Amino acid sequence: MRRKLLFRGDAGEGITAGLSQPPNTGSIGTLLTATLAFVIFSAGAVAGGLGVALGLGGGIFLVPFLTLVLGFPLKSAAAISLATVIATSSAVTAQRAGSQLVNLRFGMLLEVATTAGSLLGGITAQFVAESVLQRLFGIVAIAVAAVMLGRINRRNVIRDATIDPGRLGGRFYEEESGGVVTYRVKRLPLALGASFIAGNVSSLLGIGGGIIKVPVLNAWCGMPLRAAAATSALMIGVTATGGAIIYYGRGDLQPLLAAPAVLGVQAGSLVGARLAYGASVKWLKLLMAALLVIVAVLMFLRSTP
Amino acid sequence: MNRDAGDPKRNDAAAEHRPASARLETTIGEVLRFGTITSSTMFAIGLLMTIMKYQTAVAGLLLNGGLIILLATPPARVIVSVVEYIRERDWAFVALTLVVLLALGGSVVAAYF
Repeated sequence: MRRKLLFRGDAGEGITAGLSQPPNTGSIGTLLTATLAFVIFSAGAVAGGLGVALGLGGGIFLVPFLTLVLGFPLKSAAAISLATVIATSSAVTAQRAGSQLVNLRFGMLLEVATTAGSLLGGITAQFVAESVLQRLFGIVAIAVAAVMLGRINRRNVIRDATIDPGRLGGRFYEEESGGVVTYRVKRLPLALGASFIAGNVSSLLGIGGGIIKVPVLNAWCGMPLRAAAATSALMIGVTATGGAIIYYGRGDLQPLLAAPAVLGVQAGSLVGARLAYGASVKWLKLLMAALLVIVAVLMFLRSTP
Repeated sequence: MNRDAGDPKRNDAAAEHRPASARLETTIGEVLRFGTITSSTMFAIGLLMTIMKYQTAVAGLLLNGGLIILLATPPARVIVSVVEYIRERDWAFVALTLVVLLALGGSVVAAYF
C-alpha cells in the first residue's frame, strides 16, 4: 500500500540531464560526476540552512528541484529528499541540544499524530488525487502565509520564568529580554491535527512536514517561532525515516546520490545557524511567509501535468 | 522589542527548571551528534574515493555504511527517549514513544519482508 502511494505520479520517469543512466541501475563510478555531486551538495546546503532557521527539512523544495531541474525520477528524488530531511533533523537538533528550544514532550506527542497520519496515508491516496492534494496544499500555504504576515509583531513568549508552562509548554533563555521566557501550548487538537496531516501527506509529497507544522504551531498553538522550528527539526527526522527505510530496502535510495546531499546539509546548517541566531524573529517570519508562497506556486505548477 | 530569540549556548537558567528533560535533551544531542559526524565522515571519504575512482568497492561499503548510520540515528533517538521516560516512570510518554518506535519497526518490515 505504501509503495503504491510513494510511487504515484511516476509516469514521466526518465533521466534528461546530468546522468548517463538511471540511478537505479547505474554502477558506482560511472554514475556520478563531480559536477553533479556539487549541484546536489548545494541543494542539500539550502535544505540545511532552512532547517536550522525554520525547522524545515527542505524536501518540499528538493523534490521539485531534483525532478524538474536535474531530471531525476520521482522515487529517486523523493528518496534523496527524505535522506536530506533526516540529515537536517539530526544535524540541527545536535546543534540545538541544550538550548531548551526543543520541546521533547510536545514533540513526542505530536510525533504520534504524525505517525498515525503516515500510516493512514494510503487511505488518503485512495480518495484524493495527487493533483487535487497539491492544489489544496497550495491554497492552504497561501492562507497560512497571510496569517503569518498578519501576526508578524505578535509574540508568544511570556517574560516571566515563574509562570507555569503547563505539561506541554516550555521555557528557554531569550537574549533580547536577557532572561528566561515561558510559553504555554494552546489549541492542542489543532496541533495534533496539523501533525496528522503533515504525516499523512509526507510520503505523497516527499516532505518531512515542517512547512505545515511550524506555521501552525507558531500562529495558533502558542509556540514561539524558534521553539516551533527547533521542535519541528527534531520531529521531521523520525517522519522521514519511515519512508527512507522503505526506499533503501527496495534499492531506490542510492547512497552515492544521498552522500553529497547529506554533506551539503552539514555545511548549510553550520552557515545557516550563524545567520539564524542573529536574525530577528520578524525577519524569520517574513522568510517563512515567502517560502510558503513559493511552495504554493511550486504545488500549483506540479499539479498541472 | 518585537524579537523572539534564544541563544542556544546560554541557557543554564532555563535548564534548572526541568532537569529531567534537560538530561534527555543532552543525551539525545550526543546520539544525534555521533550519528551525524560518523555518517558524514563515511560519506565524505566514500564520495571522494568514488570521484577519484580509487578502491570503489571500499567506497561503496563506506557510502552504504554511512547511509545505514544516517537512517538508524532517528530511531536511536527514539530508543533513548523510551529509556529515559522509563527511568522517570512517565508511563504515558513511554507508551507514546513506543508507538512511534513500533511504527518505525513497521517500516523495516515493509521494506524487507
